Amino acid sequence: MTADFGIKIEGVSHAYSSGQGQRAAGTLALKQTDLVIHNHEFHALLGPSGCGKSTLLYLIGGFIPVQTGSISTQKGPVTAPGPDRSIVFQNFALFPWKTVLENVMYGLQKKGLPDAECRDIAQAHIKLVQLSGFEQAYPSQLSGGMQQRAAIARTLAVDPDILLMDEPFGALDAQTRRVMQEELRMIWKRRPKTVVFVTHDVHEAVFLADRISIMSARPGRIEHQIETGLGLERDESTLTDRRFVELGEQIWRLVREQAVLASRGGL
Amino acid sequence: MSPYSASDYRDQLLQTLVLAGLASLWEVSSRAGWVHPFLLPPLSDVLVRLFTDMQSGAVFVDLGLTLYRALTGFMIAAMLAVPLGLLMARRRGVQWFFDPLISIGFPMPKIAFVPIFILWFDIYDTSKVIMITFSCFFPIVTATYSGTSQIDKWPLWSARSLGATESQLLREIILPLASPAILTGLQIALPVGMITTIVTEMLMGGSGVGGAMIAAGRFADSVGVFAGIIEIAILGMVVIRGLDWLRARMLVWHPENRSY
Repeated sequence: MTADFGIKIEGVSHAYSSGQGQRAAGTLALKQTDLVIHNHEFHALLGPSGCGKSTLLYLIGGFIPVQTGSISTQKGPVTAPGPDRSIVFQNFALFPWKTVLENVMYGLQKKGLPDAECRDIAQAHIKLVQLSGFEQAYPSQLSGGMQQRAAIARTLAVDPDILLMDEPFGALDAQTRRVMQEELRMIWKRRPKTVVFVTHDVHEAVFLADRISIMSARPGRIEHQIETGLGLERDESTLTDRRFVELGEQIWRLVREQAVLASRGGL
Repeated sequence: MSPYSASDYRDQLLQTLVLAGLASLWEVSSRAGWVHPFLLPPLSDVLVRLFTDMQSGAVFVDLGLTLYRALTGFMIAAMLAVPLGLLMARRRGVQWFFDPLISIGFPMPKIAFVPIFILWFDIYDTSKVIMITFSCFFPIVTATYSGTSQIDKWPLWSARSLGATESQLLREIILPLASPAILTGLQIALPVGMITTIVTEMLMGGSGVGGAMIAAGRFADSVGVFAGIIEIAILGMVVIRGLDWLRARMLVWHPENRSY
């Protein structure tokens, strides 16, 4: 029995406590957020900085406990981190003392697979992200783009139902970022998964996502939801597509509104 | 390890020449009578003594005892301090309990406890090793604690989302991430341990390099005292180089060992 949604977020609010251990009124990051993300949908969370989009992602990941409301996936309510919801961070967060191969193998070993099988699956994913030949390299020997490829391979290798991405290309230079976006979309086409992709880059969101949620300034809420309708194939030509350009402008206006609000209302 | 360039070789040659020059100055100033040979016996006499003591095996007994005491105390300290430092950084209760104790103990001159340990454990190896453990403990626990506290949450969250349990996290992720800081703590503690070994041997006797030096001093054997100094210098250098080598081996992944 499977639910007809990938992730269901109902009435989620989240406050960060300001004082140490005090239950004093903290900063409200999310307020009464509702969102349903379809199964195998590439969903982008877009919003000004500080709007709580990363908080929402960490809540889905189970890294921070849900305070009010509920978040559930096909596996039931989210209570703790797990390999069904694997994450890629902006700063890659590779294990620096492990080689690329060992990094990708880590999650497979946690599943209790025999070593030879771990190695095979890891190799296949290293190939998928086009990092073959760098299996024995340590993260510190790789460029930013290559490190993020390794991190994506490590995350995909455990075959999660849901792929959480926290501004994964934010630390990369513009050219590398563009290449990585195209490749991510290509990989996703071959391995359809429910993806939640947090970004503040409007064009990145439009290029990658099937659907975009635009969040309001703090406290965050889903303000608008937009289908991109750009089809399955995304490549160089998408960037000049009329719909891509129009969507970009439309969404930019919506995000800008919120960014202006954030810069005025923000303390 | 970066490959040596020509200028590195030149530097090493010059450094060796400086050392040789100072050694010659030592030899000459004593032979020529610029200083009294009792206050500074000629280097050659000291080396001859070292050589005859090596032939008799006395040097190796003393060095062995000193090394055994230093390393035993050091390793017991590491086995206690590393887990405690890790737990302090990860468990609030442990931190709450030990933090004040360590804040008081860290800056205290540990050697002042010698009379107490003599009182409690007598003057033999137990007492010396406890003294050495005691003085090595604080730098290791402090370095481990601060290193572990500074670990980012990102690799920990990554590991959790890859299926690691909370207990696997400590051993498989946190320990290796903290290892550069832990090794730094060990590198600070080892010379402290060597100093403590020599001093306790001097105060409590029972052979070892420190004991032998005090004995030589009591018999007005200045050649013997200087032989002890050279033994300590060599022993210290070997042990500390050994730890440097271990660090480079253990941290091959770390950018500090990256060659360009």
